[in-house]
Amino acid sequence: MIETLIKIFLFGAVVGGIWGLVASGFSLIFGVSRILNFAHGAAFVSSAFLAYALVNEGYSLYFAVSAGLMLAAVIGVVVYALTKPVRDREVMVIIVTLAFALLVQQVLLVLFGDRGVSIEPFVEGVAEIGGVKVTHMRLLSLALAVICLTALEVFITKTNLGKKVMATAQDSRAAMMVGIDIEKIFLFVMVLSSLLAGFAGILYAQIFAVNPEVSLRALIYAFAIVILGGLGSLRGSIAASFIVGYILVITITFLGARWSEFVMLLTIVAILVVKPTGLFGVEE
Amino acid sequence: MRYAKAVLTVLILLAAITALCAQPEKAEREKVVIGVIGPMALPEGQAEEKAVKLAVEEINAQGGILGHKVEVVVGDTKLDSNTATSEFRRLATVENADVIIGGFSSGVMTAMMETMAETKTLFLSDASSPAHAQKVEQNYEKYKYWFRVSQNNGSTFALDLADMVKFLRDSGYEVKKVYVIRDEHVWTDPVMEALKPLLEEMGVEIVKDVKIPRGYSEYEQLILEAENLNADLIMPILAISGTGDILVKQWATLKPDLLLAGHDLSAIDAELYEKTNGMANYEIFLADGGALVTAPPTEKCREFVEAYKAKYGHYPESHQAYGAYDAVYLYKMVVEMAAENGEKDPFDPDILVKYLVRFNASNPVQLTRTIAFYDNHDLMWGDEYVRNWISQWQDGKQYIIYPPSVANGELKLPPWIQK
Repeated sequence: MIETLIKIFLFGAVVGGIWGLVASGFSLIFGVSRILNFAHGAAFVSSAFLAYALVNEGYSLYFAVSAGLMLAAVIGVVVYALTKPVRDREVMVIIVTLAFALLVQQVLLVLFGDRGVSIEPFVEGVAEIGGVKVTHMRLLSLALAVICLTALEVFITKTNLGKKVMATAQDSRAAMMVGIDIEKIFLFVMVLSSLLAGFAGILYAQIFAVNPEVSLRALIYAFAIVILGGLGSLRGSIAASFIVGYILVITITFLGARWSEFVMLLTIVAILVVKPTGLFGVEE
Repeated sequence: MRYAKAVLTVLILLAAITALCAQPEKAEREKVVIGVIGPMALPEGQAEEKAVKLAVEEINAQGGILGHKVEVVVGDTKLDSNTATSEFRRLATVENADVIIGGFSSGVMTAMMETMAETKTLFLSDASSPAHAQKVEQNYEKYKYWFRVSQNNGSTFALDLADMVKFLRDSGYEVKKVYVIRDEHVWTDPVMEALKPLLEEMGVEIVKDVKIPRGYSEYEQLILEAENLNADLIMPILAISGTGDILVKQWATLKPDLLLAGHDLSAIDAELYEKTNGMANYEIFLADGGALVTAPPTEKCREFVEAYKAKYGHYPESHQAYGAYDAVYLYKMVVEMAAENGEKDPFDPDILVKYLVRFNASNPVQLTRTIAFYDNHDLMWGDEYVRNWISQWQDGKQYIIYPPSVANGELKLPPWIQK
């Protein structure tokens, strides 16, 4: 029984940590610029594919990962540029970002085909914790995710730039009136969020594998998590990521793998029925 | 006089029409049209299209079929039944395809068989559901234009998987308990139904039968569970999940004291080793479609994979390529046989069916694989024909390890196995 609990704790935390990186960025973009970025999954998979391709070409893993992250940042800039002219029209934003996501997916399909690709892990080997085998890469991913999410929280709440981001999220017009260049903030948030998604994609490709279709999966997970946590609530998104991670792992353990996503989505719907604003959302 | 002129005109017209109708087939025909249909965004469809085009290029270079230039027309099913039937109809009636090749996968195939019957188009097909051949059995006249060329009937997977367990035992690896991971999909149910009694007969227990949805990735938990249940091997039956690569990667990372041996479609991909950074090493799998790039069962297969690589820069991206390539040559052969036998129209599908069924157990044809058909037009299964060869990834190459008649390698156990 203790082994099972340890397994649930560790595996749930790792899954939650990776999705936390994706969802926190998605939430941050919506919180600050009120944009539902449907191209968020594109940064997730593109960074992983570029890193994979560069490693295969003989470049070092760390150079390849850095290049992958740079590509994610570039995708953030492109999404910013594409959405800027239509930012006030929500439907147009959705169409533009979705079209861009599909374009990226098609490019990846043409370049790499429909099969999954893996990136070699930062660390190899397996640890045994309480009788449960866990790969070093999973443990490292959990640590990295926690570090990134904590750093993000500290950055937002403690630094000057972070406070400008929060001010823009609370009221962009008021922020503008006190001298904050909100366009720069929008651009910064878009790049930061894409970097988080890109990093999550690289970790995901090291533990699992990515294929072009995973971009849609990442988007659906991020969207579901952000809604569960409360749209625009960074802390809510992080908490919801771990809830989703644990629901998935507990379902696999006790009900079977076939039910994992079904139970996860059912739980989200049930929570939203009880609390329509999400766990940490507030009614506007 | 006016009356006589009118009669003469009618007679001349009648004579002209009769003469036109009586023109020999060869004089009317300008070209042979081969349709290829499949999901063109997926490797299965792309491989079919490329293989057909390669075969047609070769045939045209040698003078075509009965002297006619061969042309290829392409239909995209988008893996959707409605689209597939529309595309099939377009190829058959607008593009006037003489034969249609391809058709991955089973659900889409079932729908297309109705359009095939309606348009009476010869269909040298893909997909693996036993239901397709049953249709031919139940209503031969209607469905006789359908032949399965690409791979064996899906129910034969049970025979191959049972043989795999037997082979492992005979090779000194004791298998008493099996942990099954399979697609949450209708195609795996008949396989399991047939496999259970075969394993029971051998005294092998299925310790757990886990169904997984498409895109599933959390295999590590299942691998740990299999180890805890003292399974001797994890038997994947995966084609639809699309994540067999993740399973093999996580198995190689955790290094549990059990083998990974079963049917994993991703293992057939010639680039799996590279895509998993070598983690695919030691995976034992079934070579669906009866051919592997690094272990071609016939000389023609060896030539085909090299020609494919020369033309497209890579080896076939899916096993559907072999079936599609064979189908073109099979079509050429039966048309030429019909012509040699003096058939009035050697391109008539009803005539060609009679020639295709001649390739039976006692008269197989060797192309990239050795092809013969059952009475229900299903592809013949067996060591001497086509079967899902038991194969293994070893140091970046795929080897067939059973049966001995085609094997080009021997079983290698992973170094971490202690059993």
